[in-house]
Amino acid sequence: MPKTIRRRSFLKGSAAGLGALVIGTTAPYYFQRNIAKAQEGDIKVGILHSLSGTIAIIETSLHNAELLAIEEINAKGGVLGKKLVPVVEDPQSLVQVFAEKAKKLLLEDKVAAVLGCYTSASRQSVLPVFEEYNGLLLYPTLYEAQECSKNCFYTGAVPNQQLDDFVPWIIQTLGRKKFYMIGSNYIYPKETNREVKALLEKHGGENVGEEYAPLGHTEFSTIINNIAGSGADIVFSDLVGDSIVAFYKQFRQFGFTAADLPICTPITTEQETAAMGPENAAGHYTSFNYFQTVDTPENKSFVERYKAKYGANQVTNAVMEAAYFQTYLLAQAIEKVGNTETDALIFDGLPGQEFKAPQGPVKIDEKNHHTWLWARIGKAREDGQFDIVWTSQDRIRPDPWVDYLYPNKDCDFTDPKVLERVKKPWAEDKNRSGTIDL
Amino acid sequence: MSQALISQVLIGLSVAAILAIAAMGLAIIFGIAGVINMAHGQFIMVGAYTAAVVGQLGGNTFVAIPVAFVVVALLGLIVERGIIQWIYDRPLETLLATWGVGIILEVLMKVIFGPELYYVGAPKILDGGIRLIGRLPYPYYRMFLIAVALVMLFVTLYIIFRTDFGLKVRSVRRNRAMSGCLGIDTARIDMLIFMYGSGLAGIAGAVLAPIKSVSTTMGFSYAVGSYMVIVLGGVGNLLGVPTGSFLIGEGETLLAYKYNAVIGQLLVFVAIVIAIRVFPRGIFGYHERR
Repeated sequence: MPKTIRRRSFLKGSAAGLGALVIGTTAPYYFQRNIAKAQEGDIKVGILHSLSGTIAIIETSLHNAELLAIEEINAKGGVLGKKLVPVVEDPQSLVQVFAEKAKKLLLEDKVAAVLGCYTSASRQSVLPVFEEYNGLLLYPTLYEAQECSKNCFYTGAVPNQQLDDFVPWIIQTLGRKKFYMIGSNYIYPKETNREVKALLEKHGGENVGEEYAPLGHTEFSTIINNIAGSGADIVFSDLVGDSIVAFYKQFRQFGFTAADLPICTPITTEQETAAMGPENAAGHYTSFNYFQTVDTPENKSFVERYKAKYGANQVTNAVMEAAYFQTYLLAQAIEKVGNTETDALIFDGLPGQEFKAPQGPVKIDEKNHHTWLWARIGKAREDGQFDIVWTSQDRIRPDPWVDYLYPNKDCDFTDPKVLERVKKPWAEDKNRSGTIDL
Repeated sequence: MSQALISQVLIGLSVAAILAIAAMGLAIIFGIAGVINMAHGQFIMVGAYTAAVVGQLGGNTFVAIPVAFVVVALLGLIVERGIIQWIYDRPLETLLATWGVGIILEVLMKVIFGPELYYVGAPKILDGGIRLIGRLPYPYYRMFLIAVALVMLFVTLYIIFRTDFGLKVRSVRRNRAMSGCLGIDTARIDMLIFMYGSGLAGIAGAVLAPIKSVSTTMGFSYAVGSYMVIVLGGVGNLLGVPTGSFLIGEGETLLAYKYNAVIGQLLVFVAIVIAIRVFPRGIFGYHERR
């Protein structure tokens, strides 16, 4: 039976090939973890970013930025005379795996803290784990705010830090009042647009349209037709992921130029402007704390060192910068309290901690676990980088519940009543959610 | 009919063209070789990356089309000779095998090209648009896409109905065993059809890259659209693809215009589920002669 034999040998061959492929692709991670094997007395830090799956594109760069910071800290003598050792886990872009890996980092590896997550969904899946086992998470992404967990510190921007100055700037400096808002259909764009609408009312702008596209949507002809009919003179976009590049490309193909109708967004980074091509990106505006073109000595050396380690064609962006400086903030906090005890870091080490980040000096708020950041507005250039056209006078205070939408809500971990509640061990009060509801 | 609505119908045509371009390769492979190619989206992705490489070497979309056709057709040849030819008669296993191929391709492309997004521009000559009706100019590139969809359809129709090869293909589709008895090399027909369908997926990647984003995970959404088109249109007749694309494309665009994109997509899904209840084999269903 020649056919059977051929099939069998084919199966053997393909099995061997597949085996080689599996070893080839997983070997780097295996070795990384082996290197990460801690010596007695080292300080272990968990790194929890997806290195595979759909959001690996951005999370790999966060992972890289954190490893760079750890390497630098160790080169300068480490923390408390000990080395920081990264324990890398790959949650594969799967929300449930994030929680499993977080548990493993806390219980098995007993890490001092975890730097990790990118999407809000992944953060919310790990938070209960951190609250139950009293771990410490540092989270670098800009997000929709309205969260306050004892066990999490947020080093990315919350909407007030990107919008409070951006919206009035558009109205006053660009002189454009009619906003058409588009976004991907999930919580971040909806919350952001809620805030934009409140700001429009406050500053005399007008909301002429609001539309959401399913996540991953890449066909924007209908929305562009609606924009054309709305009389808008500015498009405010909260699109994320693959939608961004497709929207900017199609926007120009339908005859819109940045001079006629600029797109303003708190999301589009250097990565996307590079991928959409110079003719589609140039002239549109983004509001961020950080751009690769920020002119500080800290940033120049950060960009230089990042490119030296990961390749000259690499681009840095705001979320990576937060991932980078939060590693330093953690190291300084450990240095300050003299140990890696979680409650000491949460109540003494991190609040008020300052660091000269690439974007300028940043500070963790004493009360609400979020971070004081700079505000900037960038105008995209032909090469995909941004010209910074406006910078805030000072760092902007993070306000997870902005006063003009939620006047009676706030988050204050210096309040004795709050402290009494959150310091109680989780096991004694299982009904309590770790997130503070005041 | 208001002007805005007319321009919306025209936009819907281009959306239908995009769907048809993406679905054509899948429909041919499914309709003739009987394999549901779960790696179809990833084949489109490889075509888009081919266009990105051609672009970096200085070529434009017109150069990228034949190159992507050849590259992905060769990829199809490797997949067909390496895996599919052994399991044609086991549909469930072809499903799993091609799914696996899709995953491998995605990882492989990420290893080769890195995780970042790639830039593919539209050719200069197709920049801009013409004002037909309503508020928006109609982009030349979208007209080009409609033309590509029509050319793909007519070339395929020509091959199937006006060539010797096409005669054999039709005969194999009608009755595989009898065709084999009459001396047609059915395995070779399957192989060539798999290559041709794969090549069409490559063209889809190359022409869609300039208006969409190019990343290793881009294939999935095209695959979903393509499956919907052939489920609705059926594979019994090549007209199933343009019919399915037209209904879905116009339906989605007009509903998105009337309500919004999220509702539009939802209603189209609902309509497809109902349509399958009425036409279980698609609008152009095919009944094999036994």
